Amino acid sequence: MTSDVRERLLQATYDCVGRWGLAKTTVEDAAREAGVSRATVYRYFPGGRDELISAVVGWEFSRFFLRLYQEVSDAESLEEVMERGLMFAHRALLEHEVLQRILVTEPEILLPRLTTEADQTRTLVAAFLAPYLVRHGMTEGPDLDGTADFLARMVLSYIASPGRWDLTDPGQVALLVRSELLAGIR
Amino acid sequence: MLRHLGADDRSSTRVRLVDAALACLARQGIAKTTVDDIARTARLSRATVYRTFPRGKEGILAAVVETEVARLFSSLAVAMGEASDLEDLLVAGMVESARQIRGHAALTYLLEHEPGTVLPYLTFGELDRLLLCAGDLAAPFFARWLEPDQASRAAEWAVRIVMAYCTDPAPDADLTDPVHTRALVRRFVLPGILALRIDGSPSTRFTSSNRPPTTIKGAAQ
Repeated sequence: MTSDVRERLLQATYDCVGRWGLAKTTVEDAAREAGVSRATVYRYFPGGRDELISAVVGWEFSRFFLRLYQEVSDAESLEEVMERGLMFAHRALLEHEVLQRILVTEPEILLPRLTTEADQTRTLVAAFLAPYLVRHGMTEGPDLDGTADFLARMVLSYIASPGRWDLTDPGQVALLVRSELLAGIR
Repeated sequence: MLRHLGADDRSSTRVRLVDAALACLARQGIAKTTVDDIARTARLSRATVYRTFPRGKEGILAAVVETEVARLFSSLAVAMGEASDLEDLLVAGMVESARQIRGHAALTYLLEHEPGTVLPYLTFGELDRLLLCAGDLAAPFFARWLEPDQASRAAEWAVRIVMAYCTDPAPDADLTDPVHTRALVRRFVLPGILALRIDGSPSTRFTSSNRPPTTIKGAAQ
């Protein structure tokens, strides 16, 4: 029940942000959208607007990575998980209307909140890749940890900013994966 | 070519104001820094500031970015110009840029206290732009050892790695440390660049001794 209300509030806040942006969304907007009182919002988010906005960024971020995880979790090999993950994640970011709009209108509000999650995200991606590295023939230890950390940093970088790589082209993605991502991995 | 005496004056005033602005930014960030602060720090009058930068603070900030990027590239050119093989080139370029970025007092202050002023230029589409520019600027250094297309990709990749580590620093992943960076270059970057050769184009010279990087062992950490 309580998690229902929290979830409903986050979804409502997300809808408001999609409509009005990060700066203009207020506690009142979120409460009205969710059909609860202001007091209820403050019970779940005692920090008010600021906490609500941080929470909704984190919430959508987790949903994004959950979708990515579901998309690639049946991949059989390290190569496959990389290729499918890069293509899916890049397309999902490009097609993410709320993200794309806010990157144009309010990047100065969104990006600091996203980067505070950078360390956690990288750890998450590295932990997801570790079993694939083991399956690829690496043994657990500092070498595997360092490799997973490197790959996580690279994957996150390419997804947001592919540079001159075209991540919609399977041929280019295959080359990227076997050169800049996996060539050094034994 | 003869230059006006006045032109030199103007350029030295410009440098003084840029350096004064950098000092102010490192101390109090962008929002709190005023044209008066910059003038006082430079020991110049407000009138001189506006004569040099008619747009005031906005113009000074643009000049700061332009100057600092030029300074970064010239120190990189010196560091990379001394490299005698591809491995040294990568290590020198990555260590020097990491040191310049991490040691930059104004940038460090802004990333910590006013990240919204800087991050939009270092992420997503703007990072794409930066990767393309920096990759193009660095590519000629790589072209000594690589085919043109491979050189552009390798240069862009090196810049990407520096950005990925500098915007999300971790104690065990510090590119300002040449030992760590050399291990990373040997382990991931040299084999990756070798694999970037799509079409089996002829001999790509990786090191002065013409040693293929895949035979370099023992650089895991």
